[in-house]
Amino acid sequence: MKTLVFIIDKPLHGNIQTQEFIDMALMAAAFDQRVILLFEDDGVYALLGKQSPDAIGLKNSSPLLKALSIYEINDVWVEQESIIERGLNSEQFVIDVKRCPRVELKREMEAADELFSF
Amino acid sequence: MKISIQINASPYQYQAADSAWHFIQAAIASGHQIYRVFFYHDGVYNAVHDSRPPGDERDIVKRWSSLHEEQGVDLVVCVSSAQRRGLLETSVARKVGGYENALANGFRIAGLGLLMEAVIDADRHICFGA
Repeated sequence: MKTLVFIIDKPLHGNIQTQEFIDMALMAAAFDQRVILLFEDDGVYALLGKQSPDAIGLKNSSPLLKALSIYEINDVWVEQESIIERGLNSEQFVIDVKRCPRVELKREMEAADELFSF
Repeated sequence: MKISIQINASPYQYQAADSAWHFIQAAIASGHQIYRVFFYHDGVYNAVHDSRPPGDERDIVKRWSSLHEEQGVDLVVCVSSAQRRGLLETSVARKVGGYENALANGFRIAGLGLLMEAVIDADRHICFGA
């Protein structure tokens, strides 16, 4: 089993890439790999509830995040500094996440087998 | 070393496809094995059959086809990324009344499972393109 870290640094809606990227993480979990999903930079906006992507004709991808636990992806981390810099708090998020400071994330990433970004 | 490659960006507009191709040439020349090249996101445009760049430019699509013909490298295009962008496998195109010759020679269409298989089995997995 490999440890794969998927780094999301872009919002959920606006282009298809984030959605396709999460599909990759789900597939990795289906292959019984250890999957860590990390939200950082503008990627933290992806976690916000009360989004209305239908207003610009896009499908709401938030349910995709709620499916993570079904795929047994339980390591969902958020870079603490990214949340603070944007004035957000975890109560606004649609799923439970683990807040991690940047230094700690660096250690985890160094220990992982593969890092994915997009 | 077994190396798996993933390409996420469209050709010509980004350097990803060029960088990946040069990397693969160097890897093969150094005796490494390219396990698979997986085309994802806009990277699927690397497989467009009807791409016709001006004669004095590199032909990125043809370059991939040659890599498959000459080195037997497995070129896999993600099915969901491809269908969303109008690249259909011949059998699917026939069924839905789409363009049947969308895919260039040497490419095959498959799911993300083949990407994961490559990530798991290869010694290194390298992504090109944002």
